[in-house]
Amino acid sequence: MIKMEQGFLILESGEVFQGQSVQGTAARAGEVVFNTSHSGYEEIATDPSYFQQIILMTQPMQGNYGVSDSFWESRQIWIEGFMALQIQNTPGNSDWLQRLQKNQVPTLCQFDTRALTLRLRNGGTPWGAIVSGQDLTRSKAMAKDLIQQKKNQDLDWAWRVSRQESEIRSGKNPKGPKIAVIDFGCKENILRELQQQASSLVVLSSRASAAQVLDSKADALMLTNGPGNPGDVQKAPATVRALLGKLPIFGICMGHQILGLALGAKTYKLKFGHRGANHPIQDTLLKQIYMTSQNHGYALDEKTLPATVQVTQKNLNDQTVAGIYSQSLNCLGIQFHPESHPGPHESRLLFDFFFSEMIYQRRTQQWS
Amino acid sequence: MPKRNDLKKVLILGSGPIVIGQACEFDYSGTQACKALMAEGLEVILVNSNPATIMTDPDIATRVYIEPLLPISLDKILEIEKPDALIPTLGGQTALNLALELDRQGILKKHNVQMLGADPKVIQSAEDRELFRDILDQVGARYPVSFLVRNMQQAIEASEKLKFPLILRPNYTLGGGGGGISYNIEEYKKMMSIALHESPTSEVLVEASILGWKEFELEVMHDAAGTFVVVCTIENFDPCGVHTGDSITVAPQQTLSDQDYQAMRDEACKILRKVGVQTGGANIQFAVHPKTGERVVIEMNPRVSRSSALASKATGFPIAKIAALLAIGYNLNEITNDITGQTPCCFEPALDYVVTKIPKFSFEKFPGAQDLLTTQMKSVGEAMGIGRTLEESLMKALLSMELHPEGIPDISLDIEKISFPNSLRIYHLFQAFREGHTVSQLQDLTQINQYFLEKIDQLVAFEKDFKENFKLSSPSFELLVQAKRYGFSDARLATLAKVSENEIRELRFQNKLHPGFFQVDTCAGEFKSETPYFYSSYWVGAGDLSVVSTSTKNILSKLVSKPIAILGGGPNRIGQGIEFDYSCVRGVKALQRFSRKVVMINSNPETVSTDYDTADLLFFEPLHAEFVDEVLRVTGCESFVAQLGGQTPINMAKKLIQRGHQLLGSTLESMDLSEDRRRFSEICLELGLKIPNSGLASRVEDAISEVERIGYPVICRPSYVLGGRRMEVIETKSELESYFSRNADAISPQRPCFIDQFLEGALEIDVDLVRAKDWVKICGVVEHIEAAGVHSGDSMGVLPPQRLKEETQNKVEMACEKLAHRMKVIGHLNLQIAIKDDRIYILEANPRSSRSVPFVAKATGIPIVDLGIAAMLGLSSEQARIDSYDWRKTKLVSVKGVVFPFKKFKEADSILGPEMKSTGESMGRGIDYPEALLKAFLSSQIRFPEKGEVFFSLREKDKPEMLEVAKNFSRMGFQISATSGTAAFFNEQNVPTVSYKKMFEGRPNCVDNIRAGKVMLVINTARGRKSIEDSFGIRRACIDLSIPCLTETDTAEAFLLALKYFQTQKLTARALEKSI
Repeated sequence: MIKMEQGFLILESGEVFQGQSVQGTAARAGEVVFNTSHSGYEEIATDPSYFQQIILMTQPMQGNYGVSDSFWESRQIWIEGFMALQIQNTPGNSDWLQRLQKNQVPTLCQFDTRALTLRLRNGGTPWGAIVSGQDLTRSKAMAKDLIQQKKNQDLDWAWRVSRQESEIRSGKNPKGPKIAVIDFGCKENILRELQQQASSLVVLSSRASAAQVLDSKADALMLTNGPGNPGDVQKAPATVRALLGKLPIFGICMGHQILGLALGAKTYKLKFGHRGANHPIQDTLLKQIYMTSQNHGYALDEKTLPATVQVTQKNLNDQTVAGIYSQSLNCLGIQFHPESHPGPHESRLLFDFFFSEMIYQRRTQQWS
Repeated sequence: MPKRNDLKKVLILGSGPIVIGQACEFDYSGTQACKALMAEGLEVILVNSNPATIMTDPDIATRVYIEPLLPISLDKILEIEKPDALIPTLGGQTALNLALELDRQGILKKHNVQMLGADPKVIQSAEDRELFRDILDQVGARYPVSFLVRNMQQAIEASEKLKFPLILRPNYTLGGGGGGISYNIEEYKKMMSIALHESPTSEVLVEASILGWKEFELEVMHDAAGTFVVVCTIENFDPCGVHTGDSITVAPQQTLSDQDYQAMRDEACKILRKVGVQTGGANIQFAVHPKTGERVVIEMNPRVSRSSALASKATGFPIAKIAALLAIGYNLNEITNDITGQTPCCFEPALDYVVTKIPKFSFEKFPGAQDLLTTQMKSVGEAMGIGRTLEESLMKALLSMELHPEGIPDISLDIEKISFPNSLRIYHLFQAFREGHTVSQLQDLTQINQYFLEKIDQLVAFEKDFKENFKLSSPSFELLVQAKRYGFSDARLATLAKVSENEIRELRFQNKLHPGFFQVDTCAGEFKSETPYFYSSYWVGAGDLSVVSTSTKNILSKLVSKPIAILGGGPNRIGQGIEFDYSCVRGVKALQRFSRKVVMINSNPETVSTDYDTADLLFFEPLHAEFVDEVLRVTGCESFVAQLGGQTPINMAKKLIQRGHQLLGSTLESMDLSEDRRRFSEICLELGLKIPNSGLASRVEDAISEVERIGYPVICRPSYVLGGRRMEVIETKSELESYFSRNADAISPQRPCFIDQFLEGALEIDVDLVRAKDWVKICGVVEHIEAAGVHSGDSMGVLPPQRLKEETQNKVEMACEKLAHRMKVIGHLNLQIAIKDDRIYILEANPRSSRSVPFVAKATGIPIVDLGIAAMLGLSSEQARIDSYDWRKTKLVSVKGVVFPFKKFKEADSILGPEMKSTGESMGRGIDYPEALLKAFLSSQIRFPEKGEVFFSLREKDKPEMLEVAKNFSRMGFQISATSGTAAFFNEQNVPTVSYKKMFEGRPNCVDNIRAGKVMLVINTARGRKSIEDSFGIRRACIDLSIPCLTETDTAEAFLLALKYFQTQKLTARALEKSI
């Protein structure tokens, strides 16, 4: 069992939520967001899209089933803090808490998490910091500093989590296409899904140039998920704009937003974002309605999309744009996570669509 | 696809009388579906034989038929109504099997009616275990190694290929009926012969055991466009081996990683699609090996089920309503989520709380029945606790069981109660931890997941901490907060701290330590929700514990007048079931009609009362004074109603009044008058009303002299023993002596034995009336078919009375009115009366709604509960329009039938007595008594014999009376047989009778003959302990082989009347009239 002590979540507005923190963990600040998934805490914590964020899990019981390296979606834990009403801490299992502690991720539990959820829903997702200790005044001052420091950091979050060096991975289908991947904060399962059908992958940094992509001799391009405001991502929109129409492009989450920007559309910040594993999507490409895993704070503004692009996926909860497709430019952007991990698997079919309709089908057309 | 335009009229099948495995959850689902379809402008025809349901209220559907759920009746109804379609998926296994039968007999085709939601092929694919396994193979799902057998030969071959223990699962039965776990070949053979018999297709699946695996259930929905959602995941606390209906379960699932859960979800979707469920709800059960993670499919139900009611209440997602809308053509994305009012129904609810369901058992009602849980369901009800954490929800569920105000009292530990699953295991687990057992030791004994055991361990560790460190003189507020957050009741904390409950309560109030109230909103707070469905939790406010959640405040601020609370009945049990939920729901609606806002408080997830759109505000809380008090406080209720939910709220009323709340209707004083036997006899004397002679004795010598005064026979029962337990009819001095020696543990000077005159052969009647300050209305008189001695809940009844003289009836009504006035009843009064030699004896007078209220309301068309509410609100007789109701003008005859669960309890006896044993009731309505009787019998699942042998075994004094019955059977072509004495008497009287040996006369005996399958009907009367024990084998054989066994002479006579009518083949069907 892990020793706990009093801790606070302090929002930039000065609001305080008092609970229990792992003893002796350093304070950290981040954007405070909530996620409604019941399971998948370890996948979420290792998803680079949660970079700079403190996660509140709305399901009160977390850490129940322990940990496993096979759940990791990247090389490290990215979150700035983990909160839930209860994090398993018994003689038989405190594995998740230990793992968070080892990675110096502050935690807060044993407090009214629903009050915080409603605060985030009504007031948007503010900056905040988890600070442990007895002295609230000191903690508040510390939180203020930490938040300020965070705000002053480089805003191109994608660049900060992206691979800086390119990486080559072999695929499982020797006859398959070669895929270039621009890494904005890539989840491992996007690469695994691509590897299933590709001969090889070339994973490039978020600031890769169009020339780098073309030089890789890839048959198609994947733009991955990633954290932060798409408007702050440097270079990528221009890179993608230069590649439009030259090769099939599939963007997921941040990748989808970058694709949108490259097409001339605009993005906007959602009030409190979509984070969970139960979001319904109406998909007119696959002609289905299915549940999806979502994690994004920004969305594409439908009105700003060019005429060549169709909205093919919509979020049925709020009718926001969840996917765009252009047949003429052969590009597909998907706001949610067809690679799941965590979350339901139905939209995995979009990877099949990418390979069969956007790569093989076009190739046949070109050859005929 | 939007709503289909070709559907104008649909017929919904209900599930019939309440039985174990199929209870009031189907009233909830059927009612919800009716309401949804009516709102869509469809004509809805409802058929159900169970009068205790809300769904059979005339207002719920366009037309309601209370008729047998049998092809012959449905044929008539389809003929009259000519509906476009029939929905078979809302009435449990009964409706599904009936729909299959209607299809097989060509009745649906004849009337050009289509099935919605599931077609016969789909039903078969899911229910036929062989077809289902083919489907599992096709989608690559695994299942336990198993063999389908059709006879004993195949069964023995199968057992040779598998390793014991083996699980037997008969095809097409509900609640695992007729199945079980066998540990050796002898047991296996015995169980197999029953299982083969129980399956309507004589098919049994023999399965390798997966005992000890983790068990999960997914509640899913699917629409015609192929959209698939998992509404709820449920994990069983008890590992495989205990029927899921008998397991403690929690939602959402707790111990699967996302990877494992998603794989299970994918598999569920594949199976559902392969089975071909086009639209509607279904559930799929899985088992997962605790170490290897290997997963197998246990079974699937292609319909709304018991667990879908639980899932609906656990998530706020109304599965039955949505299933009904999908059946008429809508897709999930076209239906708005009622709770958020803005998002569509194609989503998966996110929970920010945990729910725990605990089953409720009634083993104590069945002496001899072993309290052992297996794959055959035995529980009769359930309670659900909602809390922010698993600990809080578990503790709230335990408090909802109403076993003890402490929830988890100290008990004396019995390790055997841990190693074998049983109804009390959870309490022994708590005790075992208290006595130092470790998680790993208890895991070895139970195979319960460490995750769950550790939670209990922590709760017990906290108990210890609290016990050692909490001092009332210098109370640690922190410790108290923690205790409340864990879910400990004030009563438990008081015991731990060795202080009184009130002291803890006062401390809590001084420190403003109250629970907050949280919304069940389907989305974990992601979207705004207006739906007033709440639960309490002490996990409220960061530091400031007096804060009530904002959403509660919003809702309360909208109320114009102070609401009135109705307290529900809690988990169903034998003696307090769906009838009381009927009263509660009608009560809500009546108050609303009088423009009052209503708060509903209940802990039973199966009910209509806990539907989020029944009352104005729903609080899903334990029916425990501490919790109810908090709800009444926070909602500012003007008053509360305790007389609709059965005995549970009555028992709580005093405490609530002490805490400053106002009781509506009859006062404590009236209740006291009815419960205090001394005072009750005084007022009866004062009014010139007779009550049976009675006395008290704590020693057998005193008892003997008391009985000399009272006169044999007498009924004996110890005081302070609940629900008619240990109540016996005593006919002789030696029986009296035996009774005192057998019950020595329950009888003492402090707890004397009640001895009442037993009115042998008396006619019993039930009267339900409503009294206001200045008016009284008799709403109906039900005459029992069985004579005094059989519990009123177990006897059949008829309205209007058939044997009661009009003159006596007038006297009875006058006596009831007098008593009601004298007791100053405001609202309901139920009286039990015996008539012997034209003399009227008042047996009991309960100032509350009764079990017979829904039956009487449906038989007479009088809205009794509405009148009761009018009385409680102080309306005048004109306002209540009492003159428009006259129960004596009832045109049809209505008979109440009863169903019993003896099959589920291997060692139980079916003899009827003063202790109630039935789980449910049916209603037969006819133009005359025989037709009504026939329908009531048919609806109580009694098969009428057409030819063959009728066997009699009678006590001496019944022989002359039964001679006429025997003659009649003989004349109708039945062969008569009897035990030696009875046979000699019949033969003497010229009824040719075959004689069989009694059990103790050697073999082959009468039981061998019954078990050989020759006998079609048994008439067996016995009274007194010895004679009952001697004839047990006869009745048990009948239960095992589903042979009707009548244990009262009056029932036998009624049965004969019904049988004669049966042979005429004239069965009518008639819709209920709309209430005025």
